Amino acid sequence: MTAVWGVGTTRFAKQRERSGAELAWEAVLEALSDAGVDDVDAVYVGTVFGAPGVAQRVLHTLGIVDVPVVTVENACASGTTAFHEARWAIEAGRFDRVLVLGIEQMSAHFDGAIHPEPSDAEGRSGMALPSLYAMSASRYLHEGWVTPEQLAQVSVKNHAHALENPRAQYSGRFTVQEVLASRMIADPLTLLQCCPISDAAAAAVLGRERGEPRDVPVRASRLASGRLWDQTTDHVWGFELVRDVARAAYEEAGIAPADADLFEVHDAFTIGEIVTTEGLGLAEEGGGGELVASGHTALGGAQPVNPSGGLLSRGHPLGATGLAQVAEVVTQLRGDAGGRQVDGARVGVVETMGGGVAGIDGNGCVVAVLGG
Amino acid sequence: MTGAGPDPRPRMTEAGGLAGARCEACGYAVAFPRPRCPRCRGELAPAEFGPGGTVWASTVVHVPVPGVEPPFGLAYVDLDDDGPRVLVHTGGEAPLPVGARAELAAPDSLGNLRAR
Repeated sequence: MTAVWGVGTTRFAKQRERSGAELAWEAVLEALSDAGVDDVDAVYVGTVFGAPGVAQRVLHTLGIVDVPVVTVENACASGTTAFHEARWAIEAGRFDRVLVLGIEQMSAHFDGAIHPEPSDAEGRSGMALPSLYAMSASRYLHEGWVTPEQLAQVSVKNHAHALENPRAQYSGRFTVQEVLASRMIADPLTLLQCCPISDAAAAAVLGRERGEPRDVPVRASRLASGRLWDQTTDHVWGFELVRDVARAAYEEAGIAPADADLFEVHDAFTIGEIVTTEGLGLAEEGGGGELVASGHTALGGAQPVNPSGGLLSRGHPLGATGLAQVAEVVTQLRGDAGGRQVDGARVGVVETMGGGVAGIDGNGCVVAVLGG
Repeated sequence: MTGAGPDPRPRMTEAGGLAGARCEACGYAVAFPRPRCPRCRGELAPAEFGPGGTVWASTVVHVPVPGVEPPFGLAYVDLDDDGPRVLVHTGGEAPLPVGARAELAAPDSLGNLRAR
């Protein structure tokens, strides 16, 4: 079985003054040191807006040369796609130890919302990610599946979680009213319900299980692109993709949703966490609003979701996000998470969702089960 | 938006409907060109949809995107008779009520489909 030997990240922030290489150095050196290794057999890299050659440009300066380097783009799931492919390469016997790196310098490209892609039918029409998620929120409000206050509660929860994460981009003790009163971005999603633009790198070293007590086994990982998403469905964008990928991952790991002690999920917008917790089986479809309101997914609750602060508060450097999620779950399962530690954490789930292509239920979704 | 390559957005017919296509084998409706039916790979025949439809979801966007000044409204509209779900621009005052009737209107100066 494959295990995570070590993890490393930078802090999450707008860091225009730092080069991509500097960010990568920090994350990679921390991950190698944590794993206790000096070299690897291959590198898988996830990035969305990274320049051509970004991986080799940063790796050679660390002396990581003369190995296969594979760079993947899968929207927001790029980092976990690299993780998933590295894991299966080890399972298949291609490599013994692999470095996985996610890197993104968002602030070099964007001041506000990520620009819609002009070759996409909806992107060309002005559809940006906030409005895509706002459409889901519109639908949920219409169905009576969530209230504005329950949406805001996701933001309140995750910003409070981030208070104990020294590398998080934002944190704070907000009230539901403050979240709802923040500037409107895409109705009904307000500013505090949207993830920030972030620069960061995150890395993990994967290898065969070697008997080190700090290593964290990878019980399962699954990846799929979305099916056609069109007039034939009343499910919101991404729900079925998360649900189906999660079911496959749970089956591979031999667990049920109730068996996981914590989750790091794709809360790019508050409605995203609501829909995702339903897709992951923590609640029925339409029950995610009540779930967050109940405290079930808060630190101290039965199954904390996004103890790191999530994308909303830790930050969302697209290609680095998946590895940041993996790093958080590994840190939790080792019992090293300090003030945000989930008591008795044994099994953790990572879920990342990438979008932006009109007509499908998501560019890609990865669900991984760690620990146990 | 210049220099962005061929325009991928759906187009309207002169009669004011949507110039889409329907699969001759399974009846699946699509809003813009593709070589075969993406569900069954059957042959597609040109078909006109709408202009009437039903709002599936709607928002008003308050941040700028290139070429569009906020606030601007967006809605997914399911065109009548099992027509495609299309993204349209609406007014920027408030989201359209989900489930309300909508009708396609001539594209705006930016070439975006509109509904009222």
